[in-house]
Formats: sequence, structure tokens, C-alpha cells
Amino acid sequence: MPIKRLFVANRGEIALRIVRAAQALNIETVVAVSDADRDSAAARLADRSIVLGPAAAAKSYLDPRLIVHAAKESGCDGLHPGYGFLSERAILPRLCAQHGIAFVGPEPDVIDALGDKLRARAMAGAAGVPLVPGSECVASSADARREGDRIGYPVLLKASAGGGGRGMVIANNGDEAEAGFHKASAEAVAAFGDGTLFMERFVPEARHVEVQLMGDGNGQVLHFGERDCSVQRRYQKLIEEAPCAAMPDHLRRQLHESAVALAASVKYRNAGTAEFLFDVQRQEFYFIEVNARIQVEHPVSEAITGFDLVQEQIRIAGGAGLSVSQQDVEINGHAIECRINAEDAARDFMPSPGRITRWEPPQGPGIRLDSHMSAGAMIPPFYDSMVGKLIVHGSDRADAIARLADAIDNFVVEGVPTTLPLHRAIIAHPDFVENRIHTRWLEQVLLPDYGKKAA
Amino acid sequence: MNGHDFPDALKQLLDEFSRSGIRELHIRKPDFELYLSTEASAARPQAATPVAAPVSAPPAQSAPAAKPASAPLTPASSLPADAVIIKAPNLGTFYRAPKPGAANYVEVGSQVQVGDELCLIEVMKLFTAVRASASGTVHAVLVEDGAMVEGGQPLFALVRD
Repeated sequence: MPIKRLFVANRGEIALRIVRAAQALNIETVVAVSDADRDSAAARLADRSIVLGPAAAAKSYLDPRLIVHAAKESGCDGLHPGYGFLSERAILPRLCAQHGIAFVGPEPDVIDALGDKLRARAMAGAAGVPLVPGSECVASSADARREGDRIGYPVLLKASAGGGGRGMVIANNGDEAEAGFHKASAEAVAAFGDGTLFMERFVPEARHVEVQLMGDGNGQVLHFGERDCSVQRRYQKLIEEAPCAAMPDHLRRQLHESAVALAASVKYRNAGTAEFLFDVQRQEFYFIEVNARIQVEHPVSEAITGFDLVQEQIRIAGGAGLSVSQQDVEINGHAIECRINAEDAARDFMPSPGRITRWEPPQGPGIRLDSHMSAGAMIPPFYDSMVGKLIVHGSDRADAIARLADAIDNFVVEGVPTTLPLHRAIIAHPDFVENRIHTRWLEQVLLPDYGKKAA
Repeated sequence: MNGHDFPDALKQLLDEFSRSGIRELHIRKPDFELYLSTEASAARPQAATPVAAPVSAPPAQSAPAAKPASAPLTPASSLPADAVIIKAPNLGTFYRAPKPGAANYVEVGSQVQVGDELCLIEVMKLFTAVRASASGTVHAVLVEDGAMVEGGQPLFALVRD
């Protein structure tokens, strides 16, 4: 049954995004807020807002019982979790199901399975999705050399009991693999009391690519192209693009097929993203994980396909099938998104909550801003620091970069420092313009210089 | 009727009413008025003089699916300036009695000490007591029994002794 009244269990720009998508579908909205978000843009736009509890997320946005109680008592028959917070916690859809509320997302058992890295890896392998080449347990230095030769160098020797980089050694050839075995094994014994090692191919300069998926829950899964999210700092994405311009078409097709096969194998329902490592030198990709929710960067996929993914999510949760078929999904042009955070990049990205005094976003063809901010709006100190996402769509990557540069130059924000100047520096860098970046590029190449200039 | 000397007879009457299955009871005398209802949403009869707030019987097993948070029974502007407002710590269903059929924790006029239980807030069958943050007299009950309250919503007004 189509959803009539949708509960929005999130905050910030995504709460506003969900309210707008629901309104476009003539669905009523109830937005859950914490005490700190009473006056948020989403709360003002929604038919109703409900204060869950205090500002602390643990007592508001992260309490599944509070949220489902509020959804039930406010007469909602659907619930959208957004991203972050409880969006990938299976307890939320389980509670929804107990109370007759349609959850806008996958089945709880699928969320659990995909959330377990080893199970997800096994499911990917079973669906024929490429995994990072690696070994079983390695018992001796001779084993290490043999496995290293088979996998291909450089390789990473890792402690099976390990974590946090301890007991990890990189080997570039057979001799280093033998020597590395002794070193890593000794480290692993010292750190974890267990010297068992395994080996994995090491990709020094990888790109992060991911495929946007949408499933009907009955085994039919569509993809909406891929995104390239290689500009990262501490595993946090700063800039996302679609499509991945560095990937040749034959690989792109294989990437899409792999992602769809994995999602279809679990009869995936609603929106999800399969993430991969792209080894540009070897021209191979390997599975990382599946994110069982709508992602922050979904607008770049919307820009190049012309579909509204959040509306599609809500329709599917209301029992409708997929509204399109794969041949209807055409990729047009190139889109880039930058996440604007209220952080001071010159001061080690210190979060800078506070009041926005001026907020004059750029306007024009191909420019989209997803933001809950406005002049006078308060950025509370309790949550993440993202104040918006600036998305541009151009005829190709160069055109998109030019539009983005103009858009950032015409974006006036005052009151708090933001990462807009950093974004401007990134997209002006020759490595970005010529698309020679990888997931450690920002930290290794741009930021050391950026810090110097700023100091 | 003055809440400060809440008569035992009335407490008995409340208990009898709760058990009786009677849905509504309205007594009106020149200097006294009492209205009892098992319907949380029941309209309060108009009264010329302040009287005890409507006392609802303990909640029915299940609340209607869509029920708006109830408006305060006493306008905030009519409260004494020095009143201590007890607020809901989080969203939930407001219950004035420890269990269906039991007497309410407090009534208007009840004397309370710091730490005394005033009501329960229920979230998914998990009941949390809300306690008095000051000693004094219950001046007003601001929410109807069984209504959903939001985080931070005023529940009681106390007047310090």
C-alpha cells in the first residue's frame, strides 16, 4: 500500500530532502527532531515535527524505540531513516515491522548480513564479484613467498587477529615476503598472542568507485551508474563524481554487472550502494562492502540519470515495483558534488559550529544545492558538521569542473569557516583536473602544501 | 473544593469509578464540580471557577494510531510566575498512574517532595518515572492521561511551599 504519512527519522539536509521528495508524491510528513533541531528547515517544512528528546543523539536520533513510538503515535505508515544514525541498524526495520510501519530500506536480515564484513565478502564471492586477491592462512616464510608470487606484488601480510595496522607488513617481492613473514608474525605474537598471518594484494594507489543500486525485493535490481569518490581524508569523502571518468567502458559494464548480481542474489530491496576498490594500474576492481541505505552522494547519480532516487525509495517501500527498467537509465554528462563542512581546513579541520550570518548560494543552470542552511541558521555542536552539498552537472568532466569553480566563487558564506576554499583548491589542482587522483592523494599531495600556505 | 485538603472520600470515589466501567461522571454543585471521564480526549466541561483538573481513568490498552500531542490543559500564561515546571525528559506516552486501575501518583493539590514520582513516560512498553525536582504542591497537570508528549513538553506545575 502506498505510504500516506511518512516519518523522517533523521536531521540536516537529508531530512529536508526526504520531506521534499514526500511532498512531491503528495505524502504527509512528520519530522523527528531533537531539542536542538526544533527550528530546523525540515521541521518547518514538514506537516508536523515531534521533539524526541534532548540534543544528545543517543537520547534522540539514536534511540530506535523513541523513534518508532513517535512514528506510531503520530499515525505514520512509513519511516525513512536517511543515512547515518540508525539507517543501517536492523532493529529499526524490525520495530517498524512489529508496528505495521513500512521501512524505507532493505529487509533487516539483509542489513545484518551485509553489515558483517566476512558474510558480505562470502556473499560477494558466491555471486561472482571480484574480491581482493588473497590467501588463506600462511604458515611459513616459504608459504609467504609462494603465495606472494601467486597473488602478485606488492602484497600485504596481515595478522588474522589483528587490527589498527599492527602486525602488518608490505612486501614488494619474494625476498621481502619471506623477511616480512618473520617480522609480521613476531609482531602479531607480541601484539595479539597469535602469529597466524594471511596475505592480500596491496593497492597503493586505488580509486574508490561505487555503484548505485535499487532493488524491488523480488530479485530485480537496477543500477544507476557508478560514482568515483577518491577525494578522501581519513576515509571521509569530500568530493564525489559520476560517472568514474577514469574507468574504461568494458570495466564499467563488468562493475555494474557485479554490483547488480550481488544485490540480486539477496533479493535486495530499496536503495543501496556496492563499494569497490579500483586498481587503475592493473585495471581491476575488488569488492569492499555494500551500504544498505541512501548515501550522502546520491545527487550526482540523480544528476547524470535524471531520476529522483529518494522518491523511488519511498514508492518501493510503499509496495510499488521499480518505476523504470534498466534501458530507461541513460547516463548524461558528468556531475560533481562537494560536501561543505563547517570546518576550518587550515586548523586541522576543526569543527566550527555557530551561527551562519550570510548565506548566498550560487544559482544557475546545472547547479543544485542540498542544504538545510540559511542566513541566521544555527549549526549545533552535537552532530556532524556538514552544512550542505553543492552539486554541478556539466556536459563532461571538464565542463563540470568549470561550473563548480564558478559556483564556489559565487558562494558567499559568513559566520563560520567552511571547507569551500579547500574544495576550490582541490578542483584547481592539476592532478584533479587531469584525473590522476587516488584515495590517499588528498592527504599525501594536496593537504601538506595546503597547510603550509594557510599557516 | 480545595485541592489542599483532597478528601479521602474522593479518592475512594475515583477508585470506585475506575473499577465501575462507567465512562463518564459529572457532579455539579454551587461550590463544587467534579468531572470524571475514561476518555482521554473528553471535552472538559466549562467551569466558572478553578476546579480540580479532569481526572481520567487509567488508559485503555491501546491508544488510537494517530493522536496529536494534547494541548496544555492549563494555559502557561495562567501559571504563577514562580511555578516549577516539570518537563518530559523525552518523547513518550504520559501516564498518571503506575498501572491501569491504580490511583494517580498525584492530583492537583498533592504535596510532593523532591524525588517523588509524578507520572510515567512510556516508550515501547518501557516505563520511566518522572520525579519532582522540587518540593511543594501540585498546582496544575498540564497533559491529559494517555497522551503522547514530546521531549521537553511541560507536564506539571509545582508551587514551592
